Amino acid sequence: MITLRKAEDRGHGDHGWLNSFHTFSFAAYRDPNHMGFRSLRVLNDDRVAPGKGFGAHGHRDMEILSYVLEGQLAHKDSMGEQHVLGPNEVQAMTAGTGVIHSEFNASPSEPVHFLQIWIVPQAQDLNPSYQQFAYDPAEKHGKLRLIAGPDAQAKPAAAVINQDARMYAAVVGRGESIGYALAAGRHSWVHCATGAITLNGQPLKEGDGAAISDERQLAIEGAGSHGGEFLLFDLA
Amino acid sequence: MPMAELNVLVVFYSRYGEAEKLALAAGVGAIQMKANIRLRRLADLTDAATIGADARWKANLDRMNMDYVAPRPADPEWADLIVLAAPANAPREVEEYCRQLQATASMAGKMAAPLVPGGAADCYRRISAAATAAGFVLAPADPADGQHTDGARMYGRRASEAARAMKDQSSGSKRL
Repeated sequence: MITLRKAEDRGHGDHGWLNSFHTFSFAAYRDPNHMGFRSLRVLNDDRVAPGKGFGAHGHRDMEILSYVLEGQLAHKDSMGEQHVLGPNEVQAMTAGTGVIHSEFNASPSEPVHFLQIWIVPQAQDLNPSYQQFAYDPAEKHGKLRLIAGPDAQAKPAAAVINQDARMYAAVVGRGESIGYALAAGRHSWVHCATGAITLNGQPLKEGDGAAISDERQLAIEGAGSHGGEFLLFDLA
Repeated sequence: MPMAELNVLVVFYSRYGEAEKLALAAGVGAIQMKANIRLRRLADLTDAATIGADARWKANLDRMNMDYVAPRPADPEWADLIVLAAPANAPREVEEYCRQLQATASMAGKMAAPLVPGGAADCYRRISAAATAAGFVLAPADPADGQHTDGARMYGRRASEAARAMKDQSSGSKRL
């Protein structure tokens, strides 16, 4: 069963410096029918104006992933981590017992467009930690690139998260297709980040998502004029 | 019995980042105690020309202006506990904030946790006096609180625990 979540039905907040779409309930947007899917709790599609950002704020008991589509995102936190993140890089933070962090558009002139994903961890009160890694963009062209998962020994390396959940990224050109076999009892969420794709024949445009249960085989194909970039979550 | 929701407002004044670090550590301690937190930086009372003549101060100010907003009128009402952090030699901004609170609303039933780098006694006393005058109950303090970030984090935990106990006791009394 595939249930579409259309981009235009998402929560939306335009704060001038921040234009944010919420696939699931977040901040002032609250819809009891969209509180997350399995362990995937938040999927925000954020565009932040040059030099602006989220001031210091706290988190706990959450696995937080940032995936930059365009621009540069600066991060600073109470663990002493201070980094700039760009496309083809991934940041993962285990908030655990508690962290304070801030995130800003690192550019004085260009906007930053990124996805922020929250995954509920398997356990509470974990030690806070931070990971960031870069990968070759070729690794996600025409194939799924594991971005985050529970396996510390994954090859090629991916961010380690404390949940039985995997996040993949891929870019598919028009007509190009990627298959994914979903194990029995597993669920999936597919989010079209840019462009257009089809999921088992159903069209998804930028910002659209789909909840997938009781399906064993997924086929994602590039559509539109140039295909698209998408995230695929494999969830318990 | 479910744990009472606790709101912690971390208000600090900082010039070179030292008091800021302690304030953040106290905030992390509060989060560790499952509190909701807000972080606020008090604006300088020093004039812009003096700050501009000190490159390090100015650079830190520009950075902090990005990371924090000033306290909002609704913050103290929201908070059960207010952490008040200031540099060892500059308690004036925090004192002034306490005076504003004293003039606008009763802080009775709320707790304040003064926090000063190195635990500087004079600065701690001045902030404590201003907080007490505003109606706050002071959080139990320890000499290690302002010595390093671990001490400040533990202070944030301890103060949160004390504020939650005070809140529980207060709501228990109201139920009687």
